[in-house]
Amino acid sequence: MNEMEKISSHLKGRLVDLWRAKDQGRKIVGYSAGGYMPEELVLACGAIPVGLIRSGDHAMVEMAGAYICRWIDTFARAQIGMALSGEDPYYKMVDLLVMPNTDNNIRALTDVLCIHTKMDIFPFGVPHQKGKYALEYYLHGLTKLKKRLEELTGVEITEPKLREAAELCNKERALLKEISLKRMSDPGVIRSKDFVMLNHASCLADKQFMVKTLESLSKELKKRSPASIQGPKILLTGSTLAQGDSKVLDLLDEVGANVVIEEFAEGMKPYWQNVTLNGNLMEALADCYFMKRVCPGWFRPGRERLDFLVKLAKDFKVDGVIWYHLMYRDSYKLESHYFPSILKKETGLSMLLLESDYDPSEVGQMRTRIETFIETLRR
Amino acid sequence: MASFYDRLYTLCGYEPEELEKQRPRIEATLKKLGLGPGDTEAAEDFVRRNHEVDLLGVRKILGIWLKGLTDLVLAKDEGKKVFYFGFPSIGGIGMAVAESSEDVYSGCPDVVLCHTLGQIFNKLNPILEAGEQNGLPAGHSLCTLQAVRVGALAKGIIPIPDMVSLSSYFCDMGSKTDELLCERYGYPSVAVDGSMDSKWGEFPDFDPMRIKYLGAQINRLFDEVEKHMGVKVDAEKFKQGLFRNADYMKAMGQLSQVMNVDPLPISMATVGGLARFLGTADTRWARVEGRKAVEILIQEIQKRVEKGYGVVPKGAPRVLVGFPSFSDPGLIHMMEDAGLAVVAMTLMAPLRVKSWESNQPTLGEQRAEIEMRVGFYHSNYAIAKRWSEVCQDTKVDGFVWDYLFNCRPIASTSHLLKKVVEDETGIPVLSLEVDIYDSRYYSPSSLRTRVETFADILRSRKAAKN
Repeated sequence: MNEMEKISSHLKGRLVDLWRAKDQGRKIVGYSAGGYMPEELVLACGAIPVGLIRSGDHAMVEMAGAYICRWIDTFARAQIGMALSGEDPYYKMVDLLVMPNTDNNIRALTDVLCIHTKMDIFPFGVPHQKGKYALEYYLHGLTKLKKRLEELTGVEITEPKLREAAELCNKERALLKEISLKRMSDPGVIRSKDFVMLNHASCLADKQFMVKTLESLSKELKKRSPASIQGPKILLTGSTLAQGDSKVLDLLDEVGANVVIEEFAEGMKPYWQNVTLNGNLMEALADCYFMKRVCPGWFRPGRERLDFLVKLAKDFKVDGVIWYHLMYRDSYKLESHYFPSILKKETGLSMLLLESDYDPSEVGQMRTRIETFIETLRR
Repeated sequence: MASFYDRLYTLCGYEPEELEKQRPRIEATLKKLGLGPGDTEAAEDFVRRNHEVDLLGVRKILGIWLKGLTDLVLAKDEGKKVFYFGFPSIGGIGMAVAESSEDVYSGCPDVVLCHTLGQIFNKLNPILEAGEQNGLPAGHSLCTLQAVRVGALAKGIIPIPDMVSLSSYFCDMGSKTDELLCERYGYPSVAVDGSMDSKWGEFPDFDPMRIKYLGAQINRLFDEVEKHMGVKVDAEKFKQGLFRNADYMKAMGQLSQVMNVDPLPISMATVGGLARFLGTADTRWARVEGRKAVEILIQEIQKRVEKGYGVVPKGAPRVLVGFPSFSDPGLIHMMEDAGLAVVAMTLMAPLRVKSWESNQPTLGEQRAEIEMRVGFYHSNYAIAKRWSEVCQDTKVDGFVWDYLFNCRPIASTSHLLKKVVEDETGIPVLSLEVDIYDSRYYSPSSLRTRVETFADILRSRKAAKN
């Protein structure tokens, strides 16, 4: 069994493993998929972090219509549908749901879950700009979260425990980064779909297992001779790439394009930065997760992310950019209007904009647009 | 010498000598806006049909909006530095900037344009279309108030500002739209940021860190105003700005009390739609003439009450509405036509805010504390609680929660607010999807059936009670 299959197999049995762990008294801590909840804190008190990253089913989006109007981000509505329909078993098992309040879409999701479920929900704020006071605010939220987790588990989060957890999470991020960056020199080393699967798995799998498997996979990839690729190289970016939302990647595969780097605010775990282990660890967590992280589109200003995209496009020598956001995520919609001119000016590249409400009927027109874009890049 | 716009401006409360004095500015404004004799004639007709121009107070308020429009359109031509703030914004900030220098235009251009090009000239659609063509396309539930700003800048009818302040503590989209505009026009912007992260049910309590963060942001804004515009907003000017803002709102509070009788003596389209946001958007004329105009209106309403005059029949079901339209008085008139007495509006009704002794160290934090205690920027829970209290205090028969579909923070309350208010008060709530800035897709006539049905329900309940 190769490493990818091992991960698939592990994920298939993960729910059962988690129920067993729960039966044995372990606490399960769910978190929304925006990348602002440090798993380190959960691991340090002996609980199990679970990223609520699954989505992509339009039926769940429609189900949310009973609780909120349709003009909220598709991913947030899908989460409402999954949590309230009971379709997502992870929502059923969490002892605490941590909701970093990133923008009004996630705030809407939090409010609906607070009203219509009995889940224990812990929201905390993520400011929309970087700076001294913003960092202080985010750190304050993490400190409250630490206290809440200690209450939940009855375990004190000590410095050695937090350090151990940070070391483990650092390893995971470093391995994801290493594998991702291999694509810079060897674009065919791993398919985007596989890398996205690894990233998603890192939000759900047992952390020790994940790190061990990523180490083996990294070694395995190093042994491989560089693979030649045929189609254009693509940078895929956007608001949310949830587990289960594979249509864009599938369509790109079908037309022979190669996504060599992805950048998403939700669904995918940020892996570019690590937690500094010397000094105050809580401050180091805030520094890594808030200050060092390239900001998502809902930051204002959000230019840091746009500059990062330009850098990625250059570093990975891509042939084009595909911007994929979900409906009613206004921050991304607005940035998608002016980023193409920045991209063109800085790199000469073109961008294709795709939007989705997880509706299966979108696939036809999406296919045509992708085919045309890729065909253009080939010329 | 008489001109084609005289009848309209006179109808809107301009005195003859004022008209003569302002003639060059009015003409320059109309020219820039591309408005000619046909437009002012049509506007006169529109104003007569939609506003209670038999009331001097109403005419004066219309005139103040027109003066604000002139100030806005000509600001750069007249050598002013231009400072724009967003809506919603923390009350008093724009006023404090205006208080600090005579050489500054400080205002919320989109709200001014809605009230003038929308409510007077009925000519907002071309601006909205320009907004759609320049970054805010239709069909994506993007804020049409922002589309007004984008469109007006694209058409060159309002000046490119020297600096903008973004309402980042409530709204994601206003800030991002201004970012788009900053990319295009290169002006500096300062986001006053916050995070509405209070736990459901936490209100009236709050985490003190929320005040610290928002307060620091407000303090920083004034530093940036000095840096980019050379205007120093000191503590005294800030206090003056807050006072002016509070003073206007106090007058609006008095107006609310006077009109809270049966039959309803004045339309909410006038009170909420026309007068309420004057102090929010325009900082010069609202400051100079706003209170006086509202006082005139109060006196006129009192006379109407004495005569037993009503804009709807006595005994009509009394309702609270969320928002009046900023650009189309027809929305409230349609509710009145359906037989509803719109006696109160959320953003104008007195709130159960207990007094407190603030020990916050800075003015920014003191202002932030007010916001937390009032609740609009606290959480959706706080908003639902406040509106429930308003329903109870105004003893309304129903609540029309006309939520803006294209405003994420408001749209997120589409269902939950109805549930909370109905649970807390026992009165029916109509959750009505609207766009208060753009009535092309949510016209009053398209909403009529739902409102009429709601009015029937309220009448039946009233009849059953009696």
